Amino acid sequence: MNEPNEPIDLQEFLGAFVVEAEELIATANASLLEIETAIGDATSRPRAVRELFRALHTIKGLASMIGVEPIVEIAHALETLVRAADRAGGSLHRGAVEIALQAVGAIAERVRAVAEHREVTKAPEALLAEIASTEAGSVASIPEAAIPPEWRTRLSPSERQQLALALEARVPVWTLSFVPSEANAARGITITTVRAGLGAIGEIVKVIPRSVAATADVKLGVAFDILIASDATQLAIAEAASTDPERVFPLVQRVPTPAAELDLDSFEPVERDDGGAILGRAVVRVELPRLDDLQDQLSLLIASRFRLEREIGCFSELGHNVQRLHEIVRIQGRLLRDLRRAILRARMVKVTEVLEPLTILVRSLARSGGTVVQLELDACEVELDKAVADRLLPALIHLVRNAVDHAIELPDQRVALGKPRAAKVRVSCIEVAGNYLEIVVSDDGRGIDRAAIARRANCPIDDDARLLEVLTSPGFSTRDVPTKTSGRGIGMDIVRRIASDLGGELSMTTQLGAGTSFTLRVPVTIAVMDVFSFQCGPQAFVVPTAVVDEVIEVDAERIVVPLNLHADGTASPLSLIERRGHAIPVVSLGALLAIDSGKRARKALVIRRNGDPIAFTVDRMIGRQEVVVRTIDDALVNVPGIAGTTDLGDGRPTLVLDLNELGIMARERGME
Amino acid sequence: MTHVLIVDDSKLMRAMVAVCLRPLGEVDFVFAGTGLEAIEQLALAGFDLVVLDLDMPELGGLEVTEFVRTQDRLRGLPILIVTSRGDAESRARLMAAGASSFLEKPFAPQQILQQARQLLRSEAAA
Repeated sequence: MNEPNEPIDLQEFLGAFVVEAEELIATANASLLEIETAIGDATSRPRAVRELFRALHTIKGLASMIGVEPIVEIAHALETLVRAADRAGGSLHRGAVEIALQAVGAIAERVRAVAEHREVTKAPEALLAEIASTEAGSVASIPEAAIPPEWRTRLSPSERQQLALALEARVPVWTLSFVPSEANAARGITITTVRAGLGAIGEIVKVIPRSVAATADVKLGVAFDILIASDATQLAIAEAASTDPERVFPLVQRVPTPAAELDLDSFEPVERDDGGAILGRAVVRVELPRLDDLQDQLSLLIASRFRLEREIGCFSELGHNVQRLHEIVRIQGRLLRDLRRAILRARMVKVTEVLEPLTILVRSLARSGGTVVQLELDACEVELDKAVADRLLPALIHLVRNAVDHAIELPDQRVALGKPRAAKVRVSCIEVAGNYLEIVVSDDGRGIDRAAIARRANCPIDDDARLLEVLTSPGFSTRDVPTKTSGRGIGMDIVRRIASDLGGELSMTTQLGAGTSFTLRVPVTIAVMDVFSFQCGPQAFVVPTAVVDEVIEVDAERIVVPLNLHADGTASPLSLIERRGHAIPVVSLGALLAIDSGKRARKALVIRRNGDPIAFTVDRMIGRQEVVVRTIDDALVNVPGIAGTTDLGDGRPTLVLDLNELGIMARERGME
Repeated sequence: MTHVLIVDDSKLMRAMVAVCLRPLGEVDFVFAGTGLEAIEQLALAGFDLVVLDLDMPELGGLEVTEFVRTQDRLRGLPILIVTSRGDAESRARLMAAGASSFLEKPFAPQQILQQARQLLRSEAAA
């Protein structure tokens, strides 16, 4: 893979590998816990075994592409064991689950090493040997006679067991079909959305494609036959699959049992705790892309309104009476705000639901690490945008895992230190001003040893802000510092990156021996943002108002150390300016972005980076407005300091700057 | 314009394959995360090449290949299977099912590029 003429280096994907591997590890751990719980209930979970197998298989494939051999070896060994279990009907015994948890832990450890740019230790021979000598589990035990023959031949052993288990537990099993078409796709209905909708209300056993007569709008006539076990009503299943209830068939005619009577009841309105009567049809599942669409349309409206306002401004300057136009625009503005709020409401999910996976994570981590941890979730009724939630979860997983894996002492150590045996990890979430959320992940573990990190980083660390900066610098490695004693976490650069990508920020406080607390401040929604627009050099830029502490005048008297001029006439980026009696660093944004106009800057934006203010000079402020921000997802155009793009109403893309990131760049350059 | 369907349940794997195949020139990549999605894409649009992963939820690469070969319209569609299952049995079953070519993970970028070029050429010749 490393021939000299190699044009593409797959090593570039290391960061993405870490992110995906961690998701897969979480899936594997969740499956293992599910399997373990089932063992306790004297039953099995064939589907969880399949999911475990797939997670391991994908980790193995990815690790082999990136060239992390020890992970390939462990994943391969465990995959072989789990595949055998899957082929035998999908059950694992307790001993196998135990060893699998250990092996997944060993993989996780090595993924972390990759994230920290440490050397990945070899796969432990003892572990590999133990996996190899572990028997998969007992052979399928549930009689499969109840499965109709036309399905029996189309299912794998594990799928047959899954189905037999459902039938035995008297969970209703249904068959239905979905026919993809251009018309369905245009309405946002695809096999993927149908699968997701059904997956949310039941367990899909199998989906099989079948040829049917092609309609005019497809190249190929295909129907998907779906087999699903679900307690949901026929109506709810039909709705999830975007089909008619008459097209959802029970797999076998069920013998009437008391449970069947209950089924009839569920067609009645169900009284919920919140007091609202929810009828099956009152809840509609909407795909996120459809809401995105709606929001895109709204963004165009908002942009055109801004343009209209400017045109009216021009008329007014020419001496025309624009009072009535103003009135209309004002009302339109209010309507747009209401519309925006309505769309936002539709995108909201409860933070409590978002935090749900953390419970499983902590259980499994504590288990494999030998710690005793109590997870406290406190989000009350706070809600946030689904799009933010999806991006935020990996960061929270990182922080919680760091806390459990690195910060928390073993139970005996804790007792010796006079702490409660069970450690506490707390995730709380509150809404703060300006449509932001503050999510705090705190632990009562050992805290971070600033001196140890300072030695490692070879630079003085005076406060928590500086400490966080060192911890989140991508190249920072603790190869020489035993992680267990430093209590420092992993992949912190990724956490900071996630926060800044969302237009938020990460801060931290830590006390040696007492614990660490990370605060993620993120917007409730990322689609629409309140920004300051300004001119710098020939270009307009915007920054979220939430990161700007204050806009100050730049006049000669306030500059403590004047904007330095290099010998070649360009301004040095780092100087000091007086603000409320204090000297704070001031950076010429133009110089930093290499588009300096040479004009004297008149205004400066002051931001707080982890508590420390820093000012950026700009040529001219344009205004404050609401814009829709598009994040730049393409890794090829991912430039540090650029958070996304937006449209100010002139149809041209305007860059949204990440001043936090630019502040760090400025400091780095200033230090050179 | 060459239309390539990349099917893999790993987002990263899809991205890597696309980066490897970018030198093909004017390529329109369509991604599918499951075998089901792949068949749906094939039903809705025409493709010149399918790069297919083997292990996916509900419907794996082998079943996708089998289904594709039952379709008259898709008989000549080149299918490049990418997998970390290198055993002879899997390979034989895949070839029997109608896979055009087979690539074992880990592969070098040039390997997949070369195989894709070859498959596209033979398709053009047919």
